[in-house]
Amino acid sequence: MKSASIAPQRPRLAIFSRVSAAVFGGYLLTSACIVFLSYIIPIRTAEAVLTATLLSFALYTGAVIWVFAAPTAGRAWAGMLLPTVALGLASLGFYLATGSTA
Amino acid sequence: MKNTFRQSMSWLHTWGSLWFAWILFAVFFTGTLGVFDDAISHWMRDPLAVTAASEGAPPPDRLQAAKVGQAFLEKNAPKAEFWSMGLPNEENTKLRVFWRDTPQAEFQDRELDPVTGEDAGPSKERKTEGGHHFVHMHFEFHAGDAGIWLVGVAAMVMLVALVSGIVVHKKIFVDFFTFRPGKGQRSWLDSHNALSVLTLPFQFMIVYTGVVAFASIYMPAAAMVRYNGDLDHFFADIQERPAPRQMQNVAAPVTPLPDLVTAAEERIGREARVISVSHPGDASASARIFMRGDEAEMASRLRGSNGSVQFDAVSGEILDTEMPGEIRGAGAFSTFQSMRALHFVTFGGYTIKWLYFICGMAGAAMLATGAILFMVKRRKKPAGEFGASTARVYRVVDALNVSGIAGLMLASIGYFWINRLVPVALPERETWEIGLFFALWFLTLVHASLRPTMRGWVEQLAATAFLCLALPLINMLTTGDNFAAALARGDGEAAGVELTAMASGLLCIVAARFVHRKSLQAPQAAKARAGKPGSAVEADVEAEAA
Repeated sequence: MKSASIAPQRPRLAIFSRVSAAVFGGYLLTSACIVFLSYIIPIRTAEAVLTATLLSFALYTGAVIWVFAAPTAGRAWAGMLLPTVALGLASLGFYLATGSTA
Repeated sequence: MKNTFRQSMSWLHTWGSLWFAWILFAVFFTGTLGVFDDAISHWMRDPLAVTAASEGAPPPDRLQAAKVGQAFLEKNAPKAEFWSMGLPNEENTKLRVFWRDTPQAEFQDRELDPVTGEDAGPSKERKTEGGHHFVHMHFEFHAGDAGIWLVGVAAMVMLVALVSGIVVHKKIFVDFFTFRPGKGQRSWLDSHNALSVLTLPFQFMIVYTGVVAFASIYMPAAAMVRYNGDLDHFFADIQERPAPRQMQNVAAPVTPLPDLVTAAEERIGREARVISVSHPGDASASARIFMRGDEAEMASRLRGSNGSVQFDAVSGEILDTEMPGEIRGAGAFSTFQSMRALHFVTFGGYTIKWLYFICGMAGAAMLATGAILFMVKRRKKPAGEFGASTARVYRVVDALNVSGIAGLMLASIGYFWINRLVPVALPERETWEIGLFFALWFLTLVHASLRPTMRGWVEQLAATAFLCLALPLINMLTTGDNFAAALARGDGEAAGVELTAMASGLLCIVAARFVHRKSLQAPQAAKARAGKPGSAVEADVEAEAA
């Protein structure tokens, strides 16, 4: 009951921001994660892609949980976007180095 | 937000779950009915009429069917990018053809006479989507891609709710052995906990394997990046099949498909079931023929092929042969196939199907008790989350609870009645059946918003009970068949549908009587509570559940 009664005190914008961070930020982070994983898992390309994809929903769930546990909505967004950029750049490096298909 | 982790998770569990509880209940409830889709379809097609129609019919001629099917597609779909044919067998004697003009287009399909190739037209059979209706409901709500995404989002909410729910209920092992009946809100919480904990592994498994089955739609990033947007290439690669051939834009006729059927059946030693042709009419055309599986063999394994042969569809040369039971791909693909099999219950026969049915209904009950608990708690002590409009929002939640839970059950058994009452000769009757199902479901929402909440529950549960218990009666009146006659001729599927419906009807009577008694007790209970505010039970509940 305590937590439910917290809801109206939270500015609506903060809740909206956090839900967006979870849904969209979490999806971006998950996508970046599985592309990166597909490069570093040392098995056949198709198998690495599928392994990463099978893990994706667990990663997404974890990301959403983390977003709602973060102290502020801003921290939640940062936690989604910064790793997304880092993993995206790393994947871009792999892409340029190896070509798209192995 | 200076909350502890558990408080944050509690907020997430309550509010995340609430807005998706009705969608998820519908997914669980219809998906669980879908476990028995074959039996439901069998009952809905009217076994007596099907038997009468197939008597004296010649045995299916697959070569003739392939010939007339090819002629039909060459005439009616010369520009198609993909053809497919479902060959006739003893159970389904029609030839089914499918095609689409572009990879993005919707499939078109026709049912043909397997000998003449003529459009089968309005048949004397009771045309119905049968149990597939429930299967389609549970993954797309008959709303195509929009429905698939809606269910995908709801499934992710469910995964998050399961994890946050575990965090909230830290006394998870104790909860499992705790049930305090007749204590109002406390009992609802106990039953929600017991149902969740008991079937938690099943709930995780069924939701996770469900989203994984649609992973190529929901999570395509890795495959798209690594295969330059060509998912077909990825599918071929993961199954260790020849890579899809690029369009050459050079016209070339498709070789006679009956010859390919003969070649494939000789090679594998099984009956051909489905023919698919990619790029028909182009020099790059290829065909794959899939063989019929052996049911006993399929029930005993999680993965492995039923056998298929791929041909160059212009020259007729064999490009790839996959023998029955052959396992392609390595660990990840095997995992994927096993997860699909776990979701679609293609293994283990009726024992496992019943286990899924019970666990699936427990999952639906977990969602229902959670949504009811939300309102039971707030009826007792409004939390005022929505300021001045709180009472109105509660009323909407109440109405959605009644029609989302009892109303869906009512519409689902109503679908069986609709099947028997819609005239057999009505054109597109299978579409009418589904339309009327949704109309009935909508009516339950109208009813729920007009009636006081408790009356709404009682009346819809009672109506559901009546429709369940009287199902054999309407069947007898419309088709002359009933479960006793079905049992006597050894048709366990048809009998099982009616017996299960009647057992569910009895449960609905119990539920309706329970709600009825509660609604009579409510005023007294409120008086009694006023005498002892902040009792130990309430404090316990408030500390634990939000």
